[in-house]
Amino acid sequence: MEEKKKKQRIGVYICHCGGNISDYVDVEQLRDIVGQEENVAVSKNVMFACADSNQKEMIKDIQEKQLDGIVVASCSPKLHLHTFRGVAERAGLNPYNYVQVNVREQCSWAHSDHPDQASYKAAGLIRAGIRRVSSSEALTNIEVKATKSVVVIGAGVAGMRAAIDLARMGNQVVLVEKEPVAGGQMAGKGPVFPTNQKGQELVDTLLGEIRKLSKITLFTSATVDKVTGSIGNFKVDVRVNGTPGEVMSFPAGAILVTTGYESYAPKEGEYGFTEGSRVITMKEFDKLVDSSNGSLSYQGKAVKTIAYIYCVGMRQTKGENKYCSRSCCTAAIHSSITVHEKFKGIKAFHLYRDIRTYGKNEILYEKSSKLGDTYLMYQEKEPPQVVQGKNIVNVKIKDSLTRKRELELDADLVVLVTGMVPRKDSQDIANKLKIPIGSDKFFNEIHPKLRPVETVINGVFLGGSCQGPKNITESVQSAMAASAKINAIIRKDTLELEPIVARIDAEACTWCGKCQEVCEYDAIFQIETNGKVVASVNDPVCKGCGICAPICPADAIDIAQYTNDEIEGMIDGFSQQVDLNVEKGKSGQEGDAGGMKDFPQIWKSIMEDLLEEPKTIPQIAASLQQPSELVTWHLMTMNKYYIVESAGIDDNDEYFLYKLKNQAK
Amino acid sequence: MTKIDPHFADELKKYGAKDFDACFNCGNCTAICTLTEKSTNFPRMMLRLGMLGLKKDILASREPWLCYACGDCSETCPRQAGPGQYMAAIRRYAISAYEPTGLTKLMFKSNPIFVFVTLLIAVFLGFFLFTLKPEYEVSRWIFAYLPYAVIHNMGLVIFGFTGLSMIWGALSMILNLNRNKDKKEKSDVSFFKALSLVISELTTLKRYQNCDTEEDSFWKEKPWYVKPWLVHWAIMWGFIGLLVATSLDFILKDPVTTIWWPSRILGSIAGLFMVYGTSLAINYRWKKVTKAYSETSAADWTFLWFLWIAGITGFWLEASVAFGADNIATQFIFLVHTVISMELVLLFAFSKFAHALYRTLALFFHFRNQG
Repeated sequence: MEEKKKKQRIGVYICHCGGNISDYVDVEQLRDIVGQEENVAVSKNVMFACADSNQKEMIKDIQEKQLDGIVVASCSPKLHLHTFRGVAERAGLNPYNYVQVNVREQCSWAHSDHPDQASYKAAGLIRAGIRRVSSSEALTNIEVKATKSVVVIGAGVAGMRAAIDLARMGNQVVLVEKEPVAGGQMAGKGPVFPTNQKGQELVDTLLGEIRKLSKITLFTSATVDKVTGSIGNFKVDVRVNGTPGEVMSFPAGAILVTTGYESYAPKEGEYGFTEGSRVITMKEFDKLVDSSNGSLSYQGKAVKTIAYIYCVGMRQTKGENKYCSRSCCTAAIHSSITVHEKFKGIKAFHLYRDIRTYGKNEILYEKSSKLGDTYLMYQEKEPPQVVQGKNIVNVKIKDSLTRKRELELDADLVVLVTGMVPRKDSQDIANKLKIPIGSDKFFNEIHPKLRPVETVINGVFLGGSCQGPKNITESVQSAMAASAKINAIIRKDTLELEPIVARIDAEACTWCGKCQEVCEYDAIFQIETNGKVVASVNDPVCKGCGICAPICPADAIDIAQYTNDEIEGMIDGFSQQVDLNVEKGKSGQEGDAGGMKDFPQIWKSIMEDLLEEPKTIPQIAASLQQPSELVTWHLMTMNKYYIVESAGIDDNDEYFLYKLKNQAK
Repeated sequence: MTKIDPHFADELKKYGAKDFDACFNCGNCTAICTLTEKSTNFPRMMLRLGMLGLKKDILASREPWLCYACGDCSETCPRQAGPGQYMAAIRRYAISAYEPTGLTKLMFKSNPIFVFVTLLIAVFLGFFLFTLKPEYEVSRWIFAYLPYAVIHNMGLVIFGFTGLSMIWGALSMILNLNRNKDKKEKSDVSFFKALSLVISELTTLKRYQNCDTEEDSFWKEKPWYVKPWLVHWAIMWGFIGLLVATSLDFILKDPVTTIWWPSRILGSIAGLFMVYGTSLAINYRWKKVTKAYSETSAADWTFLWFLWIAGITGFWLEASVAFGADNIATQFIFLVHTVISMELVLLFAFSKFAHALYRTLALFFHFRNQG
């Protein structure tokens, strides 16, 4: 790579954060030290760097003093990176010639008990920042043309709702459904909480809307075959089963995954669940209730006593499904109420682990209690025992609410309240879209609170319960959030993406293909330039993760903003000697950043001490005049690295002696 | 292994336990109850037993009788399941289950039957009474139709029967209490020590005094002489006093008609206590001052009014004896007084009155097993 010109006029702003930083970190000394650094033209303390007044002053400085790089030492870049990039941009400086150093979360807050050390560490970090900015390049955002169309995978309530929203906002929508009918879990379903509307009615309402919107194309019995491209310009191949072998391609600016869940299928014999038994799943029970009129009977026998067993296949401490499906408690209680309202003289027993009818659904729990439903609590370790008798099911439970008494119940029907599990084919979808799957096997969002509907793949979004258990309301909410997010991105003709991507030095590259192999995002491909085969990066697809850079044998790959120059500069800056005049006594070792050079010094002393004869920890501590905990800590580390070894026990049979490795006793 | 009875909860509701199955086992009631001890299961576990239909366990529990129905639990129940009312209902259930005839079951479960039986007995007692007062005009009229001996023997049979029922009830309770006795539970306290503890409790109602002592309790700031425990004490000791005085009178066959005769003085004082207590209790229940007084069953009302009327008519009779006023009105009052007093006794094992016996027994076993 060509030698880049270092920045000559750098501005450094060290923030007090109204005392959050300055109460611990000696910001004034740091300002003076930093001011003496090479190439630093401005070094200032500010009360609040993010304040409007300071932003204006920074712009003035940049313009008047012709600064070519700026560093703000304040809080986490998660908070204000974009604020100060904006400042740089407004002042006419490239936003990527800005570096933020975190001296609040990483120094003053983390080391409030060692203010002097916090100052050393801050000095190191700021210097690292200065070196980094001095090697920084002016970058421009990657511009991508966006297609105003979306492919929605899965036509359950979430997918249908999202399709309607996206179409109404003016986007073309291709809605792909694997099953022959749309509706997902709600297709053919009876009354559901909290509105008591039938599931099928919800589906019909949404389908009615979809039919009215010409921008939506719904494919049933269809699957996604292949996905290529990147945000703004995906190409989604859809295979429609009705027409064998026919694959249609659709352009998409973004993809929304609303593939939903599967109901947990009880294992053969789990709580007596088996073909032809009187133990059925929630789903089967709901169908039975919905299709029965007048009286409830199963296998020709009237049902008067029902036992519901909760948390079937869920919240397994040792099993795969560690999570709670959160909607099943409410669903089961809602079904129980529906049964009471539809049929007379039915007694229900709920065998649960914890009732989670959270939010407004708590009133259903109360209602069912008032209708005479009895709740019994079991522990995971001692699940109810179900034995199928003649026309009756015998259920035994150790009821935690009755001092763990062993109780027995004869039920006409046992309903297994099964939770939600990830779809079996979700791995296939994940492979096609390159989106991550969590340890629970549901699709993972970027951040459950801050970015709940986005995936790490730009342009691929999640909605509904493919992401984790959700009830209908929550599924629809997340699908609508994803629609709004998608629309906000693709409504612009061009998208701007951060230019933090891998770059190939075509001259150095010899195409060995290693980078392509390791790239998780398929962003690297082969091209031919000037008669030479080299690697090339598809910028919109590249996430700048950096995995390709160290793997390259020719060192032909650099990541923008993380070039070798920048990283090496940071290391140099951090490890530079710091001359701070801090309060004595509080500090451990002086003269280095964060006391990082403590280790070799004490190791050296210990080794010198052990030269003559083997010693115990108290003896070493005494001769080094160091606390014995500290000596123990370092000695154990040295032991681990084979620097010292045990030399038997002392004469009092009290402490182990240690000697230098390979040293005669 | 105990079998759950899905229909028992509905059965209990007929005894006045309305919404107890709304309970979600939070245990607030147990926490708030001042009588909760290590060895007692107040009142959550009792509700639990009812919900699951473990009736044998209810009948084998002392807890229903250790509760004085202060109502703190109902007041603070987050589900409005009425644990206090539930405890009263299982007391009614137990009374009807311990006695052998099934009469109480009918009376407690149905108000029409309750009124019918009460009236029927009153009419019978009226007849019986005239046989004891042959000088009354109506008595002569009755004897024309029914021989004296028949009525008299019938009366003896019935009183014998009520006495036997009482003993049966007591034995039945004792057997039940000891059937499911926890093996770990030791009878550490001697028979006589336990007995003295019972007597001390009955004399002072110390446990009852612990009730309603919560900071925000309605009774906290009220004067001692209107507190529920004192009301109960006044009714209880008033009745016992009157019982003793009446017995003495009966034994001594009205030797003198002065109100300064010792048994008469005892009767007057006891009567004052009983009228005072019942008046307040009726007032509280009428005005529904707290949750504990808000739901009053026919059995509760009858019991209180009978005691009140017996007290008031008793004073009338005392006055008329003192002033020698033997007229039709006094004869009528005498009739009412005696019919009601005798009905109280006659229905002892079949009414709310039985709690006097069962509570005493429960207290005895409670103290005996306290250790």
